[in-house]
Amino acid sequence: MIEILQWSTLAICGLIAAARVPSAIRGENRSLFYIFALMTLAILLSIQGPYVAIDRALGGINLANLLLRFVIFAAIYFVGIRVSRGFGAGGALRLITGKAGMVVLLVVSLVMVALFLMMDTTGSSAGLTGVVGTDPWNSALLEYYGAAGRAYPAYITLVLLPAMVRAVPSRLPVLIRIAAGVLALGAVATGLTLTFPLIPPALGALEFIINYTAVLCFVVGLAVIWAARVRSGKRISTHRTYTEK
Amino acid sequence: MTLPAKAFQRWLQGIAPDASTADVCRVSGIKRTTLAQQLVRGKVAVSTVVSISRAYNINPVAALATFEPYRSLAGPLPSPTRNELVSQISTADLLRAVLARPAMDPAAGGKSPPPLSPAPHATSVKNWVDAIDDGEVRHRVSAATGIAAQNYSAQLTANRLSPELAIATSHAAGVGPTGGLVATGLITEEEAGWPPGARQGALDSLSDGDLTTLAGDRLQALGKVLRRQEQDQAQTEKIWENLG
Repeated sequence: MIEILQWSTLAICGLIAAARVPSAIRGENRSLFYIFALMTLAILLSIQGPYVAIDRALGGINLANLLLRFVIFAAIYFVGIRVSRGFGAGGALRLITGKAGMVVLLVVSLVMVALFLMMDTTGSSAGLTGVVGTDPWNSALLEYYGAAGRAYPAYITLVLLPAMVRAVPSRLPVLIRIAAGVLALGAVATGLTLTFPLIPPALGALEFIINYTAVLCFVVGLAVIWAARVRSGKRISTHRTYTEK
Repeated sequence: MTLPAKAFQRWLQGIAPDASTADVCRVSGIKRTTLAQQLVRGKVAVSTVVSISRAYNINPVAALATFEPYRSLAGPLPSPTRNELVSQISTADLLRAVLARPAMDPAAGGKSPPPLSPAPHATSVKNWVDAIDDGEVRHRVSAATGIAAQNYSAQLTANRLSPELAIATSHAAGVGPTGGLVATGLITEEEAGWPPGARQGALDSLSDGDLTTLAGDRLQALGKVLRRQEQDQAQTEKIWENLG
């Protein structure tokens, strides 16, 4: 069940990234292509098979997991900038790119790297499951490492949430309002990841569902806005010009 | 609200006893599937009755009056008030009338503007309600019909109003029941029994000051709508620019 969710999310995300290639070559909003590409990479790195293969190549100490965290940070950072600019949420943009956002990013990153270095992480395993063994010190570190990794995405998406919620009942085109609703759902799901330490191990599948709901919501929401633009027949002005006969 | 299919069939029997459904559709220009669907669901649209009445040369107002919810349309109807008449003049026609007044433009010199375009116009529903509103009409309509004030306003802004709400609004304002049906374009002024030239007469009877103020109000409202559309458009463009 979880495998199906993982691979189908990967497929959807990969397809959208691939579909975005031509417009990226034309120079239309390249950063959106990067967002989809980064998200595809992130999903790839969270699936056991590809993860092990990549991690082995990186030395088998789960460096790929640290890489995954930073890939997610980068993707969510660009999503934050693009969405807050697009929806005219100046306050959110300042909270992401301003001093506060930089401090949060820096602190979270430093804490995360430090915790990773303190952990004994030999033996490739996606999500670091089973790596820490029964050592209480190591598993406590892992708990904090996971929390740090979830903190930055949660910060960004919660900053975006008000603008999304405001856009849903607005007079914008209906596809954009749907997209805003989907993105808001993704933001809520990402915020919910902060509660993972409270979820009993028996309901571990819930964590997967919340994670993949969040990713799917962001990917689908952004794709819907793109579809709305394509449907409206508007071309984005690029720096290239051509003369028509 | 729609009309019950049973009452509709009875009415149709009365005006076209031998006509088949296909005949009725052909002469009235209603799509067969549309009418069939309305009959199957037991809910016949008011506009269906209006189209069929016109096809059989029956006044649609008289036809509607035979249905229970539209009883108030029967009998001698009061004439529309001057405010109602003026509300059914389009903003463009109002502005032309202003420019034709010597007080506004002494050079215009008696050149009378072209005849008024027929009702309804782009904001006729909202203008009609504004024209008969004593400040409490919306409140009374929502109390009488149970429609939420917000939904009622939304209909007015979209220049729509269902026939039963149009009638309820007339009742709430204490004016004749046809005004709203004309404003929504369901029936024509002539069918409503408004005398020919009534709107022109009402317009001519407005003083220079009243006419100019009214035109100003209309322009201001139009400006607000246009500005809002422009803002929405700008925001949409921004979203596409960043996320498209």
